[in-house]
Amino acid sequence: MSTATAPGALAGLLPESRVLTGDAASQWAGDREVEAVLFPADTDEVQTLIRAANETGTGLLPAGAGSWPGAGGWTRSGGVIVSTARLDSVFHYEPADLTLTAGAGLGWRKLAALLEPNGQWLPMDGPGAGEGTLGGAVACGVPGPLRARYGAPRDNVLGLEVVTGEGRLLRIGGRVVKNVAGYDLVRLFTGSRGSLGVITRVSVRLFPRPGADVTMVFEGGVGEMLEVARGVRASALPVAAAEMTVRRAGAAGGESQLAVRVLGGREEADEVCTRLAAGIGAAPGTTLRGGESEVFHRRRTAWEGRSPLVVRLAALPGRLAAVMGWAREVAARTGGRLAADVLGGVVRVKGSPADDGTAGLAGKLVSVRREVEAVGGTMTLSRAPREVAARVGWTGVGGGGGPLARKLKSLFDPCRVLRSRCP
Amino acid sequence: MIPATLTRSLVEICGRDAVIVDEDRLLVYESDALTAYRHRPGAVVLPRTTDEVRDAVTAIAGHGLPIVPRGAGTGLSGGAVALNGAVVVGTARMNRILEIDAANRRAVLQPGVINAELSAAARPHGLYYAPDPSSQTTCTIGGNVAENSGGPHCLKYGVTSRYVTGLTVVLPDGTVAKLGGQGREAPGYDLVGLFVGSEGCFGIATEIEVGLLPLPEDVRTLLGIFDRIEDSGRAVSDIVSAGLLPAAMEIIDGPTIRAVEDSVFAAGYPTDAEAALVIEFDGVAAGLDGEAERAAEFCGRAGAREVRSARDEDERLALWKGRKKAFGAMGRIAPDLLVQDATVPRTNLPSILKGISEIGKRYDLVVANVFHAGDGNLHPNILFDRRDRNELERVERASKEIMQLCVDSGGTITGEHGVGLDKKHHMPLIYGAAELDAMWGVRRVFDPAGTMNPGKVLPEDTAPEWPVAGEVRDAAEPMIAAGAAP
Ligand SMILES: Cc1cc2nc3c(=O)[nH]c(=O)nc-3n(C[C@H](O)[C@H](O)[C@H](O)COP(=O)(O)OP(=O)(O)OC[C@H]3O[C@@H](n4cnc5c(N)ncnc54)[C@H](O)[C@@H]3O)c2cc1C
Repeated sequence: MSTATAPGALAGLLPESRVLTGDAASQWAGDREVEAVLFPADTDEVQTLIRAANETGTGLLPAGAGSWPGAGGWTRSGGVIVSTARLDSVFHYEPADLTLTAGAGLGWRKLAALLEPNGQWLPMDGPGAGEGTLGGAVACGVPGPLRARYGAPRDNVLGLEVVTGEGRLLRIGGRVVKNVAGYDLVRLFTGSRGSLGVITRVSVRLFPRPGADVTMVFEGGVGEMLEVARGVRASALPVAAAEMTVRRAGAAGGESQLAVRVLGGREEADEVCTRLAAGIGAAPGTTLRGGESEVFHRRRTAWEGRSPLVVRLAALPGRLAAVMGWAREVAARTGGRLAADVLGGVVRVKGSPADDGTAGLAGKLVSVRREVEAVGGTMTLSRAPREVAARVGWTGVGGGGGPLARKLKSLFDPCRVLRSRCP
Repeated sequence: MIPATLTRSLVEICGRDAVIVDEDRLLVYESDALTAYRHRPGAVVLPRTTDEVRDAVTAIAGHGLPIVPRGAGTGLSGGAVALNGAVVVGTARMNRILEIDAANRRAVLQPGVINAELSAAARPHGLYYAPDPSSQTTCTIGGNVAENSGGPHCLKYGVTSRYVTGLTVVLPDGTVAKLGGQGREAPGYDLVGLFVGSEGCFGIATEIEVGLLPLPEDVRTLLGIFDRIEDSGRAVSDIVSAGLLPAAMEIIDGPTIRAVEDSVFAAGYPTDAEAALVIEFDGVAAGLDGEAERAAEFCGRAGAREVRSARDEDERLALWKGRKKAFGAMGRIAPDLLVQDATVPRTNLPSILKGISEIGKRYDLVVANVFHAGDGNLHPNILFDRRDRNELERVERASKEIMQLCVDSGGTITGEHGVGLDKKHHMPLIYGAAELDAMWGVRRVFDPAGTMNPGKVLPEDTAPEWPVAGEVRDAAEPMIAAGAAP
């Protein structure tokens, strides 16, 4: 052991069957380098690994199922990935309480299969939900369009078990739906993207599946769809989510699509759809109901796919048209497509930087960020090749950590063993 | 008393009428709504702007004195009580709504704005502010942010933290920090979420951005009358697990019903009942009747003797009256009131309610329950007279047992009132050394010098080595004995 490299020493702490190296490990790393992927089987093993990392100065990268290779930026290359994929037990599920506690590695499919017979679900629809793990969705904390109805992930996380970067085990929050005992560390760790600790267990609030799931799909030109989107936003009717997509220029079919999702009792949903369409003066091209509607939206969570470049622009929803304009400028240079959370004011662009030179693209992104920030918005890179990220910066204003964030990082990860970048 | 030099600085910063040092006038600031704890502050200062707060905080901290932020003083955990001659920074004059941005359904306001006034101002735009603590006609949004307050309708709509999207805060060292804002997409750690619920320990919120919701189009209100409180608890649990999502579900128990009916607030609830359950559905009109009918059925199956339903707004207000006036009515039948705030898993409501009533009987005490049943958030109120030493002791023992019972069933010690001074010694019931240490660490990140609201939330005996402004002398202050003072 004494001759082993530091990452090797960490790998030696687990049986070989739970260690990946070489090519198998590289697949988890995107365009970064990594020495091994480790799969601890319980919280104790996570703690042992993190403590050993502190002793040997090994860099760690927390991951879930590895559905997001490279995980959107490391502070440094090298080190080992610690995957929570084996921490997938369900510790507590009381359907009548609508609460669940499970290991961070619990996969979405398994979770859905567990909840479905009881007519329940966890309405987290951020990018990648559906493929990854529960813990991964909580660690990223990125909301999808359903935020309009159910809140962001942070609103539905009741408690967490985490092993901090220093190797301390914390059980914070609880499993009841209202809890103000002590400072809200659950919110701090939710969305901390593995930069403060490894989330090992998660307690969440569940919801009854509504009796009706209806999606009205409108199609037309971008300007037209923005107009419909404006109508949806202005309506006081309860819309659960509204997402607009813009196809690649020249693609077949309409240029743009707006999917408006209504959830509720059967009578209520029908009434909302009828009145909404009448109110905005547009008729949907198609209306999807029940399973069709659900599958449509589930597929949407995989929209980013494995795109090498994903840019997220956000501003107040009233600025959607302007933000969309900037997003289209980025898309034009990357052969990209757009998806907009109309009620949340978020526009994502996915594309490939290969369509443009790195320098040209970086310059464009920097200037777009300046414009978005000038109207109080933000532009972050969700995924980007190393060279692009290095030139542009993952986050702009407020990201990466002001003085408070830096002190919080030092508090929980004093030796900086966690190499995930701060959000 | 504070040093004359500090008084002079504060007068210079905020104006003469904004600084209170007169002993008689300080009496008003001696406690919050949990009157068992009384400590007179060294002074009170009432700034009007972020800049004034910044300068006042810098001046007070410069004198090495502790600072206590204060809203309307309706808190129920002693959070706004000034220990060790601390200086109170009150937000009473910071009561302007700075912007209502109807198109984006948001508002920006100063912290001293009263909760109900925000909703009133949003109403002409067809909007309202969802979190509705029962104290909403008097409590401030700043206080709501500090406590992460809930309310009856938070069952469907969620508590304060879901609606706060941005904050301007004056940190204990006088730095002004902007957290989040312009919606909720700002990158970085969720410092807004971390600040909400920090009970005045991380700094003073001087500007608050919140999200607003469209007013619900229609509403249905029911009142179930039960002969046994466990049955009302079962009805709540059954309604939730059947997938219905009422906007609110509140239980008022027998002793509370009788207190209300004996008072000027009489609401027409039958006095021989052991529980009344208010259920409300809201949203678009279509489907509401069906939901209300199903809920009424569940009440019937759980053993309700009668289910009333409101036909118009007047009747609706009448059904709510017993709930809304419960605290006021109880205040009239006993000189002292201990309010607890535990949350338990909803399915345990029937057994916990039974357990609480048994504990009350065993200690020969009147325990009256009125609470946010849909969220499992209990408020057992113990009525007593603190001049009766023996009774006081029984109250303390019963109260501890109730809290333990709730924690043992998977619950927590406080659902919405906060830990404050009152429950800090109960924190070890739910958190171990590592968690308390982490909380101390986070507090120190915001407040390295220990200036802001010391002596609250975390029990001192768990504190790592850390300087604290002023001398903290009440580390082991017993729960009620403090109230036995003046
Ligand atoms: C009859 C009655 C009914 C109630 N019902 C409910 C209920 O349904 N739900 C509920 O959650 N609570 C309820 N409460 C409790 C109380 O009203 C809430 O906790 C409320 O949010 C306190 O607001 P306040 O302005 O009175 O704050 P205060 O009592 O003045 O202060 C509370 C805490 O907030 C801090 N604080 C105040 N302003 C700021 C600021 N600007 N920045 C930083 N810290 C600040 C103080 O230091 C203190 O720690 C009730 C109280 C009463 C008396």
